[in-house]
Amino acid sequence: MIVSFENRLSRFLGTTAIFIAIILVLFPFFWIFLESIKPPSLGGRPDIWRFEPSWENWGEIVFNSNVPLNILNSFFIALITVVISLICGAPAAYAFSRFRGFQGARYSILAAEMMPPAILILPLFLLLYKLELIDSRVGVITAHLTFVVPVVTWFLIGFFDEVPKDLEDQAMIDGYTRFQAFYKVILPVVRPGLAAAGIFGFVLSWNDLFYSLLLTGAESRTLPVAIAGFWTFRGIELGKMAVAILIAVIPVLILSYSIQKHLIRGIGGSGVKY
Amino acid sequence: MRYPLIITNAAQMHIKYKLILPLVFLLSGIMLYPFIFSLWLSLQDYRLTRINDVQFVGFENFGFIATDQSFLNAMGNTISFVASAVIFELILGLSLALLIQKLVIFKGLVRSILLAPMFITPIAVGLMFRFLLNSEIGIIPFYLLRVGVSLDWFGPELALFSIVLIDVWQWTPFMLLMFLAGLEALPKTPFEAARVDGAGRWLTFFSITLPMLRPVIVVALIIRALDAFKVFEYVFAITRGGPGNSTETIMYYIYQTGFRFFRMGEAAAASILLIIFILVFVILIVNLSRPKVIK
Amino acid sequence: MGRVDFKNLRKSFGSTNIIDGLNLEIYNSEFLVLLGPSGCGKSTTLRLLAGLETVSSGTISIDGCDVTELEPRDRDIAMVFQNYALYPTMTVEQNMGFGLKAKKMSPKLIKEKVNEVADLLGLTHLLNRKPNALSGGQQQRVAIGRAIVRKPKVFLFDEPLSNLDANLRLEMRAEIMKLHRELGATTIFVTHDQEEAMAMADRIVIMDKGLIEQVGTPTEIYFQPKTRMVAGFIGNPSMNFIKGEISNNSELKLPIGNIKVNTTLNLGEHVDVGIRPEKIKLADLKRKPNENIVRVMVTNIELLGPRAIVKTEHESGQVLTSVVDHDDIGKYELGTNISISLASNSLHIFPKIKD
Ligand SMILES: Nc1ncnc2c1ncn2[C@@H]1O[C@H](COP(=O)(O)OP(=O)(O)O)[C@@H](O)[C@H]1O
Ligand SMILES: [Mg+2]
Repeated sequence: MIVSFENRLSRFLGTTAIFIAIILVLFPFFWIFLESIKPPSLGGRPDIWRFEPSWENWGEIVFNSNVPLNILNSFFIALITVVISLICGAPAAYAFSRFRGFQGARYSILAAEMMPPAILILPLFLLLYKLELIDSRVGVITAHLTFVVPVVTWFLIGFFDEVPKDLEDQAMIDGYTRFQAFYKVILPVVRPGLAAAGIFGFVLSWNDLFYSLLLTGAESRTLPVAIAGFWTFRGIELGKMAVAILIAVIPVLILSYSIQKHLIRGIGGSGVKY
Repeated sequence: MRYPLIITNAAQMHIKYKLILPLVFLLSGIMLYPFIFSLWLSLQDYRLTRINDVQFVGFENFGFIATDQSFLNAMGNTISFVASAVIFELILGLSLALLIQKLVIFKGLVRSILLAPMFITPIAVGLMFRFLLNSEIGIIPFYLLRVGVSLDWFGPELALFSIVLIDVWQWTPFMLLMFLAGLEALPKTPFEAARVDGAGRWLTFFSITLPMLRPVIVVALIIRALDAFKVFEYVFAITRGGPGNSTETIMYYIYQTGFRFFRMGEAAAASILLIIFILVFVILIVNLSRPKVIK
Repeated sequence: MGRVDFKNLRKSFGSTNIIDGLNLEIYNSEFLVLLGPSGCGKSTTLRLLAGLETVSSGTISIDGCDVTELEPRDRDIAMVFQNYALYPTMTVEQNMGFGLKAKKMSPKLIKEKVNEVADLLGLTHLLNRKPNALSGGQQQRVAIGRAIVRKPKVFLFDEPLSNLDANLRLEMRAEIMKLHRELGATTIFVTHDQEEAMAMADRIVIMDKGLIEQVGTPTEIYFQPKTRMVAGFIGNPSMNFIKGEISNNSELKLPIGNIKVNTTLNLGEHVDVGIRPEKIKLADLKRKPNENIVRVMVTNIELLGPRAIVKTEHESGQVLTSVVDHDDIGKYELGTNISISLASNSLHIFPKIKD
């Protein structure tokens, strides 16, 4: 028995539905992987399932393209973005969770997250243009902060809400200042939450195309922009595109797997429960 | 001691303000300032090609945008896209969440697999499906043709629908995540009470589960809809707005106006209209979804 | 009607047996209380009867009809949960009518029945409110009302009063008993509060570690505890226990001296001898038969209004607690030695459980 329904028919239908969903999700990955190990001469042939696997595409991308540089850019940008987000977001999230007078702030944070990039990109672009920071990592980090900071802060509020208030009261009775209580006692308690929020922010930054497309050039190009460059479907390029896609996707899937439980808890704790 | 009206030095400031100070500075710099800049921009004739010749033009940009056929078309496309994608995702996500909750074995594994698409960079998803659905080299049309179905997924009739399908593939997992979280947070005893009360599966679902999930549904709906309004990557990866302008979305329109035609003032005006539209939409949803007051 | 029969009921979660062979017959219209320390399996027993848990083995029948495999809805029972389990999105009226709606009764009839019960419980003015706009006591009433509306064969209550404050608890206790008298339906009531059990029950079932220790009326349970566990669990302050051994001539060898008893236990057997604190008296000058006089020192006096609890210690180190009327308190003085008397017929003798 896979699904706990009393009725046999519903059990069968439920199981089937889940199988179909799994196949629909996995098939594209599977096909892309097959494409990545097809010899380039067979690229883009939907009728070919059996062939001698070849790592030529992988070799090309790893040793003979800009993709490693793009990966480095993406990684560096995402990392710095997350560090800044956590440094600014954690104390504020703690304040929003603990002190009165910040009820509205929670929703402002959510509203900030909802701000369409269209309205921010124009001024950011002009500003960075004037400062001659187009095609610099600093510029992209600035842009990515606009959507990573609010998300990270929002999740952290939920995690701080779950820590009993007695904990810092105890620390203060033990002779710590409020601020010491925060970073010596509370921060270590929410470390898993910090990690989860940080990883989520990292994934968001890693995945962004819109800002990176407009703010990067040859030097600072990120992986999604590079992938977008495989736009033309010349048969020979298909395998390489598949490799680049897999390289962008695999680390993110591993990271996100590690935080799923926290995400579910984080959402459950952010005031959407009964 | 009386509290000073004006905080004159940092030491006197309440700790709660000290804690939020870094965030306030950061967000003012990267969001508030650009936002105000955008408002100003929307009132100027500001072209990237004539950057030293900027003129104040009042609401002229808004007038132009509001009557621009391309803008209205993009708005229409975006609205159909958002409405159909979000409704599909809501129904699918809720059904899958309920099914996964009933899983006895492999629960964690199934959940992880089904959540995967939402973590992937959308440009990769766009390109993947552009490749899978391509009428010459795509595997899906290839096998559909074998069973006698011939579809041009990115032709004038189907292109927008295909983009909806891609969005559903990537973002149903988000709904699933929200509903799994929501279901997990529901108290267990009302369901036991309902069993003792003799309620069947459908009555329990419609009278107890669904009403209790309402706050989560509303939040998920709003977040997803606002996110769908920003759809850009699929269009950029696959159709570039075409065929014709049948898949031009509002973000793609703004991108084109600002960065292909370099008309920053008009692009700013369009994005402000978008914000106003979104605001109205959110207020509407929140009001409509309030439970009716019983007299 | 509403006779319940448990036969060899077992329930295990994983490898631990929570209910370990439970046999119990519950009579029609009876008010039966399941009493025991927390974690002993009371809720599990109730949930098995409700059909919310599946049994591992054994059978449950209601009115002679085997319901072991039936869904809750087919058992004709109603349950009041500890945290009330009201449906948060429904009004009081909808909450109370939900069970009838599930039976596809017509809305008009539902309204009629709900109004009738609301009237009975004084809930009429609250019918349009949502649960979170009610006080704890009112929520409790709604939960009870929801059970009554359905006119089930058996009512199940799982510690329904434990979330209420002391005054409200007494009030609801009286109300539940009154309802039981009026409706006459079989009621099974779980609690860990012995006072509540004593006050409400026709019969009490004492459970411990998934087993029934004793079934009986409150009087039987109090005055004739069958096991050491029951004796120790019931009564406040709890019974004094003295370790001893049966020596020759059916005499008990105790640290406080030897005592003559009638017992069927064998020579050399180790026992626990119990005596309730209120049975320990000051020794009179005139010695009666069957009285055992012990010299002890008063070590502590705790005043409790009309009564006082006096702790005394024998030279062997054995501590004895007694309950003394306020009028007699002057006869006890801290640090002095007194003579107390233990009547042989107040002693309870339990064979030592070997472990
Ligand atoms: N679903 C469950 N899974 C595992 N153990 C359980 C479950 N429900 C109850 N138990 C265990 O069964 C024992 C009896 O529980 P319960 O019947 O609730 O006790 P009571 O109501 O008498 O306090 C407890 O030790 C509890 O931990
Ligand atoms: Mg219990």
